[in-house]
Amino acid sequence: MKKAIVYVNQFFGQVGGEEQAGIEPQLHEGQIGPAMQFQKELDADVTHTIICGDNYMGSNTEEAVDRILDMLSGKEFDIFLAGPAFQAGRYTVACGTVCKAVKEKFGVPVVTSMNSETPGVDMFKKNMYIMKGGNIASKMRQDVKAMARVANKLLNKEPVGSADEEGYFPRGIRHQTWLADGKPASERMVDMLLKKLNGEPYETELPIPKRDLVPIAPAVKDLKQAKIALVTTGGIVPVENPDRIQSASATRWGRYDISQTEALKGGVYKTIHAGFDPAAADADPNVITPVDALKVLENEEVYGSLHPYFYSTVGTGTTEAEAQRMAKEMVPYFKEDHVDAVIMVST
Amino acid sequence: MKLEIGNFYVKDIVFGEQLSLRDGVLTINKEEALAYIREDERITEAELYIAKPGDKIRMCPVKEAIEPRIRPDGRSIFPGYTGDLAKAGEGVTYALKNCSVLVVGRHWGGFQDGVIDMSGEGQKYTYFGQLNNIVLVADTNEEFERNEQQKKNDALRRAGHKLAEFIGACVKDLTPEDTEVYELGGMIRRDADVEKLPSVVYVMQPQSQMEEMGYNDLVYGWDMNHVVPTVMHPNEILDGAMVSGSFMPVSSKWATYDFQNCPNIKALYKEHGKTINFLGVIMSNLNVALEQKERSALFVAQIANSLGADGAVVAEEGYGNPDADFVGCIVALEDAGVKTVGITNECTGRDGQSQPLVTLDEKCDAIVSCGNVSQLIELPPMETVLGELQALARDGLSGGWADDEILGPSVREDGSIIMENNSMFCGDQVCGWSPKTMKEF
Repeated sequence: MKKAIVYVNQFFGQVGGEEQAGIEPQLHEGQIGPAMQFQKELDADVTHTIICGDNYMGSNTEEAVDRILDMLSGKEFDIFLAGPAFQAGRYTVACGTVCKAVKEKFGVPVVTSMNSETPGVDMFKKNMYIMKGGNIASKMRQDVKAMARVANKLLNKEPVGSADEEGYFPRGIRHQTWLADGKPASERMVDMLLKKLNGEPYETELPIPKRDLVPIAPAVKDLKQAKIALVTTGGIVPVENPDRIQSASATRWGRYDISQTEALKGGVYKTIHAGFDPAAADADPNVITPVDALKVLENEEVYGSLHPYFYSTVGTGTTEAEAQRMAKEMVPYFKEDHVDAVIMVST
Repeated sequence: MKLEIGNFYVKDIVFGEQLSLRDGVLTINKEEALAYIREDERITEAELYIAKPGDKIRMCPVKEAIEPRIRPDGRSIFPGYTGDLAKAGEGVTYALKNCSVLVVGRHWGGFQDGVIDMSGEGQKYTYFGQLNNIVLVADTNEEFERNEQQKKNDALRRAGHKLAEFIGACVKDLTPEDTEVYELGGMIRRDADVEKLPSVVYVMQPQSQMEEMGYNDLVYGWDMNHVVPTVMHPNEILDGAMVSGSFMPVSSKWATYDFQNCPNIKALYKEHGKTINFLGVIMSNLNVALEQKERSALFVAQIANSLGADGAVVAEEGYGNPDADFVGCIVALEDAGVKTVGITNECTGRDGQSQPLVTLDEKCDAIVSCGNVSQLIELPPMETVLGELQALARDGLSGGWADDEILGPSVREDGSIIMENNSMFCGDQVCGWSPKTMKEF
């Protein structure tokens, strides 16, 4: 019999509610909570259940993940399941984080389930099968069944069908497939054409992602009076990375005081960006975050003044939704200091 | 314009004394046919084979496919190419159905050539796996392109078209089993019950990317690189006005057979008078320079508007650079108020994670998708190989490779192969056959 291990949070692990959200990871033999239903549905034995508090996972991610990976070391398992997480925001991120780490370290398939309205979906849908889950825990049976259906295909090495057929979030992967009814392209074309001509709903076979274009801002009217801020997605941070910004798929950002700094020095600042060779930026962080040049131009009165902080995150793999959220969190600081323009340095 | 295609159904093909079709059995006098092929002095080596569905045959490098036909009144079946210029699309043409002439290189292949399997897992990847094929395997003295990745394949392709006409001649004096009639009069002053239906044009973007002549699709023998979009009657396309070229990765290719039988045109014809008023074809192209692409899109939108089209269908014979023409043309039509459906294949990479078309636009909101050119395909050895299988690995076929760190060579010692769909002969069938689509995984 193949073996499975299930991850759940403090609530579904029957430890307790919000007051227990800080609990550290625990490994239990056998099945607790949803793991019991998985035991019934899976073509595998659920040998262990891992429980971790959502807050603990959220605020001590690295340590929590490391400890879970340690717990799993030496255990035999053929598949790893997390959730279902329904619409619980932190829980969805926890499920995605743990599944991704387990998949990378142990090379086993992972499956989880979340509601479409949660942050975990956009963050992790490209990394794993995330079933489209319900919004409340009363959908438990149905969501577990859906997860088990895909998990069993993975366990039995059967092909997993398309996202539509199986009910998972599309992973950004498109493959050719033979239509069951063999309907030729010419007939599909006529059907689509008639519907489009008659204003009836139809489904394109190549959905074009919506582009969220931001218009270019008008030029700064009077540069001599303007207050300028500096933002980068190049991952320049103080060497100790105090805000623990991730090296890829970032969800965190930081702002760092440069009011007394004439230039960013190597050894004091570095890049934590995993998407390019860091050598040049580590040696001279100004190549990505040009504090040196801006200070010179400020002294030469080319522009008014420099906002006293620079802002930094990592762009590689970061979802548009996360980038948008982080920008929205930065904006109040700019407004408070009456910043007129932002220089956005990408890599 | 009225075209009658008289159909003769080929159930079997044999070699014998006299070229003839009797009770569905096509008999070919091999020596006579080969002697005819060898009249072109460029042909140095030639042999004929028969490949039917279920036969354990793999063909490579396949260069062209043509439906055998004849015109009883003596006009050439490919005016301006195999014979004198004459009107296509009108009168009577006889066609041998379920049957094609395939042209295969004896040794040498190129970027634009492909693979056909007649049985097993590989059979479903091309339309020609289900036809009764007369296979011409030949070599030529075209030394200038022997080691070129891009080959014009002129001698071989012409040999195929001539052979198709030579074989078609056997039904010249016979009575067809059935007749398809394609009739479409002037675009204006049609019957009131037709004119009240939404009017539709079919926009074709045949391959024309090569600046040098000899590689591109031809219209009445004229290189498609040298045209600006124009109006054609759909019957002309069904009746040999278009001849396929020798340029694109071959899964995107429209063989001459595909033009002769174009399912998209037939599907629109079928709806004519019932649900749509099928105006006709706007023949565009796929040139490489941006200005040429924009010019073609302008012409297409203008013609569609001038004809009063409510709707359009755009199909491209290619991917990559031509995606810009495809998307540009759809956007121009939508901007001109013409409701448009596109038909194409995609290039999402072996892992399926790449952007499907080189350029995207939200106005392309109705696309029929026919396959992924870069899908990896692994096939077991085949008993018989016609041509030279090594060409897939050696000669720069778009879906083959000499070696790969992880996958190894495309052609293995035991005769099994691993390749990209790119080299499946006319595999994506954007002309309308395609039973494939693309799905999100």
